[in-house]
Amino acid sequence: MKIINNLVYTYKKYSFLMYQLVSRDFKVKYKRSVLGIVWSLLYPVLTMAVMALVFTNMFKFSTPGVNYLVYLMSGLVIFNYFSEASNLAMSSVVANFSLINKVYIPKYIFPISKCLFVGINFLLTLIPLYAIILITGTGLNIYHLLLPFGFLCLFLFTVGVGLILATISVFLRDMFYIYGVVLTLWTYLTPIMYDIAIIPAKLQIILKFNPLYWFIYFTRDIILYQHIPGINVWLYCLAFALGFFFLGLYVFKKNQDKFIYYV
Amino acid sequence: MKDKIMIKVENVSMRFNLGIEKGFSLKQWFVDLGKKKKKVKSEFWALKDVDFEVAKGEVVGFIGSNGAGKSTLLKVVAGVMKPTKGKVESYGNICPMIELGAGFDPQLTARENIYLNGAVMGYSKELIASKFNEIVEFSELKDFLDVPVQNFSSGMVARLAFSIATIVEPEILIVDEILSVGDIAFQAKSEAKMMDLITGGTTVLYVSHSLESVKKLCDKVIWIDHGKVIKIGGKEVCDEYLKFMNIK
Repeated sequence: MKIINNLVYTYKKYSFLMYQLVSRDFKVKYKRSVLGIVWSLLYPVLTMAVMALVFTNMFKFSTPGVNYLVYLMSGLVIFNYFSEASNLAMSSVVANFSLINKVYIPKYIFPISKCLFVGINFLLTLIPLYAIILITGTGLNIYHLLLPFGFLCLFLFTVGVGLILATISVFLRDMFYIYGVVLTLWTYLTPIMYDIAIIPAKLQIILKFNPLYWFIYFTRDIILYQHIPGINVWLYCLAFALGFFFLGLYVFKKNQDKFIYYV
Repeated sequence: MKDKIMIKVENVSMRFNLGIEKGFSLKQWFVDLGKKKKKVKSEFWALKDVDFEVAKGEVVGFIGSNGAGKSTLLKVVAGVMKPTKGKVESYGNICPMIELGAGFDPQLTARENIYLNGAVMGYSKELIASKFNEIVEFSELKDFLDVPVQNFSSGMVARLAFSIATIVEPEILIVDEILSVGDIAFQAKSEAKMMDLITGGTTVLYVSHSLESVKKLCDKVIWIDHGKVIKIGGKEVCDEYLKFMNIK
């Protein structure tokens, strides 16, 4: 009961700050750009166009039975959310050291606000995704209503990873560089632009340990293959999401009092 | 009411480990790999068994030489640092003016920063909205509201920050050398505002090297040296401190 009271109190007290931080990020992001928020819509479309050109023409990638553009775009949108949010969350604590050093603010507010900020951006990128779904004639179905489950899992997973990265980067600044390399590797280990069937069976097993694989699988099952994902997909998504979320919270909470010595 | 304890600092000790390398990096680790590294375990007690209470409405001045631990103590009270030993209890909302403008985003306008900084200070949206005009009025920055703060002079930033920080009467105000913000006119104004807060029943913790202002403002003075409380008392502590420093 006390914990719940505390949570409610903290939420009341800091939700406005959270809102301010997210809106700050938005204002700063689009300051002085002529197209402003249109970039949120345009950017993923352009990236997709470039990748589609490269992979269909140079490497002759294709996805039998479904539209390659929608295949690519659904993977990209999810992976981009993860990579951008986890990256920003990682640097958020170090970037706000001047504040942390002066005022008491619950520190986890910084990584979480970054994940929320990129989350809003993610919702905007769904607009071009749906535009492509409609244009390519892939069509909609009632199961699209299940998608928020996948997105919520993606969010929780990203928050968890972000909290862990933020903690490590306080003690080890090299993490910024290391993670850049990890993300590159992760891009290729996630079936964004290729079909999982084209890679060797052994590698396929490794891919199944990749949480992002499951979030993307869940989304594509609904959008592309037009059916409800199997129960195991639901469970994998949920397990990875909650597992990393709580691991992140634990790691962060355990170390946050030490942050101040590494300012 | 006057006797209600607002802050209770009990046997607080704060240890810094000087051996900690800030921002451990792999490169440094490889560089050091070849060397036989002595395990330097230099501990440093920034505070040692500090013990005091502050009652509601009291204005407490902290004096002591550089590095005595005054700022660390204020950070511990503000909740920014957790003490190694002992505990700090405070009742009421704390407004730290430890370094003004820490919560500003230089790319945002003054208007946006008022909300952002207010939120950082823990104010609610309604509160900031209702006090918005007052803040603008006090800071005398009406014509610059929609200018990004990065184009402000440092005096303007300080004025804005001071106005935001003092606009609500906080129950506990922590001040670390701040009265000298802005030009002479604004200094007089901010000092008057501080006096208002102080006489208005706010509990104030005040750090300054200016014994003049400590004498003028504070009814309780705590003298700290090398992390230890040397003396707690009235204004006369200032004179003793001065005498001690002259002997040295």
